[in-house]
Amino acid sequence: MTAMIRSMKDLPSMHLLGAGTAMCAGCGGLEAIHQIYDLIGGKTVFVNAAGCMTLLSTYPFTPFRGGWIYTSMASAPAGAQGVRDALDILLRKQRIARDEDMTAVVLAGDGASFGMGLSATSAAIERGLDFLYLCYDNEGYGNTGQQTSGATPHAACTSTDSGERGYRGWKKDLFAIWAAHRPAYAATVIGADPVDLAKKIERALSLKGPRLIHALAPCPTGWDFEPQDAIEIGRLAIRSGMFPLKEYVGGAVVHTRVPHPRVPVEDYLRRQGRFAHLFAPRRNDRLLAEIQAQVDAYWRGVA
Amino acid sequence: MNRVLLTGNGAAAWGARLAEADYIPSFPITPQTEIIETLERWCTDGEMDGTVVTLESEHSMITAAAAAAATGVRVFTATSSQGLMYGMEMIYTVAGWRAPFVLVNVSRALATPVTLEPDHTDVLGARDSGFLQIHCATCQEVLDSVLIAYRLGEDARVRLPAIVNEDGFYLSFTREPVELPDPDAVRRFLPPFRSRGIEFRASRPISQAVAVLGSAPYSYFRYEAHLAALAALPAYDEAAAAFASEFGRRWPAVEAYRAEDAEIVYFMIGSFATKAKDAVDRLREAGRKIGLVRPRLLRPYPEGALRQHLLGKRAVIVIDQNLSMGKGGVLYAELASALYGRPGAPLLVSFVGALGGRDITAEEFYEMAKVARQAADAGVAPEPRLLYTAGELRELRTLQAIAGAERRTIT
Amino acid sequence: MERGVITRPDLVVVADETLVPIPAAGVLQGLSERTVLLLGSAERRETWQDRLKVPGPVLALPVSAQSGDHGVLAQIGASCAGAAARLLGVIRRESLARALQEEIAKFGSAAVAANLECALAAFDAMAPHAGLVAASAEIGAGDYRAPEWVDLPLEEAAVAAPDIHGALTSELAITGTWRTHMPVIDYERCNRCSWICSTFCPDSAIKVAADHTPRIDLDHCKGCLVCVAVCPPHAIRAVPEREAAREHSR
Repeated sequence: MTAMIRSMKDLPSMHLLGAGTAMCAGCGGLEAIHQIYDLIGGKTVFVNAAGCMTLLSTYPFTPFRGGWIYTSMASAPAGAQGVRDALDILLRKQRIARDEDMTAVVLAGDGASFGMGLSATSAAIERGLDFLYLCYDNEGYGNTGQQTSGATPHAACTSTDSGERGYRGWKKDLFAIWAAHRPAYAATVIGADPVDLAKKIERALSLKGPRLIHALAPCPTGWDFEPQDAIEIGRLAIRSGMFPLKEYVGGAVVHTRVPHPRVPVEDYLRRQGRFAHLFAPRRNDRLLAEIQAQVDAYWRGVA
Repeated sequence: MNRVLLTGNGAAAWGARLAEADYIPSFPITPQTEIIETLERWCTDGEMDGTVVTLESEHSMITAAAAAAATGVRVFTATSSQGLMYGMEMIYTVAGWRAPFVLVNVSRALATPVTLEPDHTDVLGARDSGFLQIHCATCQEVLDSVLIAYRLGEDARVRLPAIVNEDGFYLSFTREPVELPDPDAVRRFLPPFRSRGIEFRASRPISQAVAVLGSAPYSYFRYEAHLAALAALPAYDEAAAAFASEFGRRWPAVEAYRAEDAEIVYFMIGSFATKAKDAVDRLREAGRKIGLVRPRLLRPYPEGALRQHLLGKRAVIVIDQNLSMGKGGVLYAELASALYGRPGAPLLVSFVGALGGRDITAEEFYEMAKVARQAADAGVAPEPRLLYTAGELRELRTLQAIAGAERRTIT
Repeated sequence: MERGVITRPDLVVVADETLVPIPAAGVLQGLSERTVLLLGSAERRETWQDRLKVPGPVLALPVSAQSGDHGVLAQIGASCAGAAARLLGVIRRESLARALQEEIAKFGSAAVAANLECALAAFDAMAPHAGLVAASAEIGAGDYRAPEWVDLPLEEAAVAAPDIHGALTSELAITGTWRTHMPVIDYERCNRCSWICSTFCPDSAIKVAADHTPRIDLDHCKGCLVCVAVCPPHAIRAVPEREAAREHSR
């Protein structure tokens, strides 16, 4: 399938996701989903895991043009399995016309994707389920007040890691976990780079099987910054190298943006209140150096 | 006439096959695994046109089952015990999706301690969830109940998933003669699955199972599911009547065996009720006016039928093969609430037995009848009793000695 | 005595006056002629009394100027607490100060000082109305109004399940009330690029017409101001909502 999105001019001007949802002003997750929905459209069934986006549809309001179902925190991929298998049965047994088919799309936050839902996710990939998996990653359990999750980055302050060193662990590598399963496709995206995102959605749509779209979701509420800075912070996440934009396809990992020169991680971190403790009352040079070193090490490993 | 020897699990699998279940999400657990293995073999061999998928946990399995039903196909699944517990979040959740399917639970006693043998605490843990519950005493009943459960759950007034329960080992692995219904007769009894507005189609946008913030709408949705479960009472009677008419076997919501003129009746569910029937026959030979009342439908609770059978009796021997910690037998508590304050309400004598598959001997049945008679004469019920003998206690002590546990009695 | 849901308030304190016109906020529910309604607002109490026509007394608590660019109501909680304490008439000035110090201590001495100043100023400003709020009597058990209990009818599953049969009903939710600042497009500067602001608006609140002109959907724009930040020729500016509302009503 020839790519349709080559530059900004090719992005859709018709926006399909409805307005009026309860997401915070400037939500980076909604940013990504709204761009993705423009491309995947309403012939989809969104199978949702518990998280911020569960509140997209609250009775009687829904922003979707197609399907949606809330399952639980841990089992959205299993819900997608049920939907996909049932549609396949209905098609095979000719109980529905071909044009009634829909794509199963898991919509999950990092809480479910990096933690509770990993078992169901792993098994769904293993079974070769034909589905899209959208993870909006705001690096914490956002809906409950930004507690530490499997996606929380090193030294970030959360409501369960509130000390001056923040979270002592390191962000789990979801992309590598997916890649180890050898899925049909996996990609990292961000709403701040819509053309890169659109190209990856197009590629994902041209393939069948388990396909991950992992979107970093800058979160004004959880990361503590002004909503209007959401895109700028997203761009800094990319330019500092902290969130690599890459894809796994055909068994190989390809970086679609290689920031060069890389902006110091500090420029990204100091814009967010969740890292304020690294700068005041005293600079924490050690932690800043640790974070920078990890990013440097990552990009050294990229050809 | 197509009579074969089938285990309870074999009968359950035949029920799913005859119902032409489209989708069978599965996960293995003793003692139900034979059900899904049988179905897998048939679907692979082409004897059945169904899709079998193994999920990685019961929580996922139940999610997949309900999601497929909510998309618009007929679904069958099975589990037991710890698996039912693992999936319990979804058992409660998916009942409210109002997409019907059938789950066969092969009941097995719960941890702690972890074990394999049967009792009913597991399935009774689902009684508040919104799933319907039908309890079987024979392998024939298992097969027939699966068919009835589909028709009942898919009834327009109901639209709820249903659990059909069979005892682990004593039914699941025990062969009994079972008549296999004719597939065309089954198709007459059970029409094809209809979504009735709850389905996923590209041409009809729908957001299902959405969040509801606000106590008035929440109360509405919850209570409607309850009303639907209650509507399953008349719907069950109609389905059972249609079944009897098509297949000649009667499965009333409550089975009454020699109960009409009885003064005292046994009250229990499941396969051990057949042992109670034997005890009834022997006691009748000895001149006692005794019978058995066995609910098959537990959810919805067949309150009216139970009152009809039990009001006016002198005593009811309630045998619970389950235990609600800190309260006692579940059947006992629920029956008491159904009969309380009614004219002619009998004395209730509570026994807890067969935990972890423990046998209930003929002697125990006779002794329970005697205790009930004495209680009725005295006008007062004794305290609930755990069926447990001195011999069993001695055996336990030898095991404890090996395990090195100091023996201490707390008085 | 009420718990959880207060249906018959004696005092309603509104820290954010923009909530008043939102039905879901239920600000005016259960007001009786005894209920004192206190609004944090720059407008006069008479204006509010006229506007709302509630049965009981309406008081305005002058709010300090909106600080910074973000419409933050500085120390509004402390002001409300101070005012409410005076209106109740049973909390002494020293108790208020002590409680506030305890509550705010973890935010540092500067925060304590700022909040204390606001709370005590509000406490003092409410002096003419001290003790205006009094506990109302319980509903008598003698001649109460009977609740209108109904028996829910059994309804078909497709409507009795929490399902939404349709698309885009979220558009009925007017999230435009969230704004403290309105983005306004200067069409002379706008390049008609056709994609930037509407792509980056997370809420689908910017639509592009066939002639490439973007239009902001004010019913839904939450005022995140991402569009202001991303527009390359800086053709969008943020106007405080109050000011924008005045411009619109002219």
